[in-house]
Amino acid sequence: MTNQTLLSTHGLRKSYGKRDAKFEALRGINLEIKQGESVAIVGKSGSGKSTLMHLLALLDRPTKGEIHLNGENTSKLRQRKLNHLRNKEFGFVFQSFFMNANDSVLNNVILPLKIDGVGRRERKQRAMHALKIVGLETKAKNKAKDLSGGQKQRVCIARAIVNNPKVIFADEPTGNLDSATGAKIEDILFNLNQEHGITLIVVTHDQELADKCQRQIHIADGHVASDKEGALIEDDKATREIEVYEEEPDEEEGDEEYHEDDDDDEENEEIIDRFLDDENADSDGDGFIDNNTQPHITHVKSKGSK
Amino acid sequence: MKALDIIHDANANLLRNKMRSFLTILAIFIGSFVIILSSGINAGVNDFVDKQMNSVGGDGYLEMMNTAASEQVMQMFSQEVKEYNEPNKDENTDFFITEKQLEEARKIDGVKSVDAFKSASVEYIKLKDGDKRYKLNLNLVPRGNLDMDLSAGRKADPDAKEYEIIIPQNLAKSLGFDNPEDAIDKTVQIGVPGTIACYTAIKRADCITLLDAKVVGIQAPGIMAMGGSRANLSLWNKINEINNEGMPAENNSATQATADVDPEKVDEIKEKLKDIGLTAMSVEDEVGQIKTFFDAVLAVLTIFGGIALLAAAIGIINTLLMSVQERTREIGLDKALGMSNFRVFLNFALEAIMLGFWGSVFGIAVSVGIGQAINVFTHNGILKDLPTFTLVIFTPQNLITITLIIMLIALIAGVLPARKASKKDPIDALRYE
Ligand SMILES: Nc1ncnc2c1ncn2[C@@H]1O[C@H](COP(=O)(O)OP(=O)(O)OP(=O)(O)O)[C@@H](O)[C@H]1O
Ligand SMILES: [Mg+2]
Repeated sequence: MTNQTLLSTHGLRKSYGKRDAKFEALRGINLEIKQGESVAIVGKSGSGKSTLMHLLALLDRPTKGEIHLNGENTSKLRQRKLNHLRNKEFGFVFQSFFMNANDSVLNNVILPLKIDGVGRRERKQRAMHALKIVGLETKAKNKAKDLSGGQKQRVCIARAIVNNPKVIFADEPTGNLDSATGAKIEDILFNLNQEHGITLIVVTHDQELADKCQRQIHIADGHVASDKEGALIEDDKATREIEVYEEEPDEEEGDEEYHEDDDDDEENEEIIDRFLDDENADSDGDGFIDNNTQPHITHVKSKGSK
Repeated sequence: MKALDIIHDANANLLRNKMRSFLTILAIFIGSFVIILSSGINAGVNDFVDKQMNSVGGDGYLEMMNTAASEQVMQMFSQEVKEYNEPNKDENTDFFITEKQLEEARKIDGVKSVDAFKSASVEYIKLKDGDKRYKLNLNLVPRGNLDMDLSAGRKADPDAKEYEIIIPQNLAKSLGFDNPEDAIDKTVQIGVPGTIACYTAIKRADCITLLDAKVVGIQAPGIMAMGGSRANLSLWNKINEINNEGMPAENNSATQATADVDPEKVDEIKEKLKDIGLTAMSVEDEVGQIKTFFDAVLAVLTIFGGIALLAAAIGIINTLLMSVQERTREIGLDKALGMSNFRVFLNFALEAIMLGFWGSVFGIAVSVGIGQAINVFTHNGILKDLPTFTLVIFTPQNLITITLIIMLIALIAGVLPARKASKKDPIDALRYE
């Protein structure tokens, strides 16, 4: 995998409410996520995992602190670019699904493509393909509200991957699934991560899923309680454990850079080439993707969609 | 997101709450219906007035009365109390137009000719070889470029020695000429009373002189027909002579005059005529009186339509605010998936525009239907005598303009809810229960 830092946070704080009702959900988070990594965020209920995910995916703004994306401070990003990121670079699986209940399953999956302005035929093909990946192509015409909990979750995953994102944020993606279906979803996610270098950030209570990730970040009371390399991934890197229980939020821990790996292996080169060939990658010409060597998920795209 | 998608979604969203959308559209429909119909009537009246003006021409034709006389006529219809201002010694306070006034009028720049005419009263008209008599309303045939809008024959020659007359088409019909052409060159007889003779006559018929006149033209129905029949000058003078037989000459002066003037200078000539004590009216002024009446009625209608639209606009705001509230989570999701604020704004603004659009489309459909019915009804009824007067006329330009205006009003009404929607924070919106 690449060694480039994708996301880093610096003294990230988020508080809700005012005065007496004020509650600090995040109290100074410093972490760094590299491109192509798979990261599990674990922690007790109410510890701030979802809040952190929303901030990382740039859906919400921190009360204090900074989030850097590819080294750029995101608080300075223009709305246009934020929209572009949300639509094309990030895929988000919300903890409580969030679907248009009265709309069809297909239309729910199509939504990001529709917002992107993809033509009718192509977006239908791509959405069907994404549904096939999660095993729901037969439910395309059903109303979203008529699905079971697990099926809804899979629709949300289809929606998150339909736009070929470079980062997938998944908040409890297997929370409502039996172990067999859950394992299938895990396969999909890790396939995207390993075969196509997509960065995967998952919130989960499922230790098995967490263990499959390269890293596990433990959140407790709005702090990073521990941040360690996953045990099950055979890697030449040593398992590190960083205690970052600090009181000073503004003190930046993320300065530490991860430069120790990585000889540019052949696979990586190939991915970069594939990315550079892709003209769609920087459609709005804001230059963002040009200095970002994220690969593209080619298997999600159906044939002839281009 | 493409334009077609946005329009499709806007309509689909309106269909989600059919009853609410329908009622909002109904409110817009009421306003647009009233406005479209009154604009149709306005177009109809204007079209009629224009047609009349074109067929009559009359750009340079003025009818004049002594100002004192026209003021007296006005006074008859007025309750206003006016202070008395003593006139100058040489001011003409009579009904009559003096020779001096006529001389001065002829000298005004742009005046080509002035004809003064004395009063002439007639009793009836009948066919020379017929018995049926009809009341006659007679005027003088005008000189100059005034086109009489004739349906047959020609304009009477003002200077011809023979007695010539133009009669309205419906009079010709009553006299037995179903086809206007058939009446041309027929001789009619006009019953002319002698004022003195009638004082002493035992039977009215004993003091009536019958004058033969040739029908040279048939007046098409229209505004000019309201003037009744038209005699040429020699016929007119002969009637005046019979009327005044045995009366002192000084009681027999001109009371009215017509002038043929340069059409470009009508207004300034009217001013100058006023200075010499003559009140002049052009055909336009007369037609204008009809228009003024309709304008007043239409203004009231339009105001009602406007008020209805204003209420409908508030309905749009209300409907959309509810819609924004209900769709809070959906808006949050759209924004979380990268929809721009402007697009969210556009979605709701377009819903407002679609409400306006459908309201005015239904307004047009119903107005055109009802307008057609009104036209059929009035052609067979009150406007029977004016077949060229189509009361309600819709032009595509008018309908499109009104539709666009209503869509604009709807858009303005949509701004507030659409802004509210576009300002929503995605995470807050997603949390909304
Ligand atoms: N909009 C909000 N207003 C007030 N408090 C909030 C808001 N959103 C989150 N919180 C609080 O912030 C804390 C962290 O919430 P968060 O949803 O991030 O928890 P979590 O770690 O995802 O929990 P879970 O595992 O149950 O999903 C909670 O105590 C929650 O009550
Ligand atoms: Mg959560």
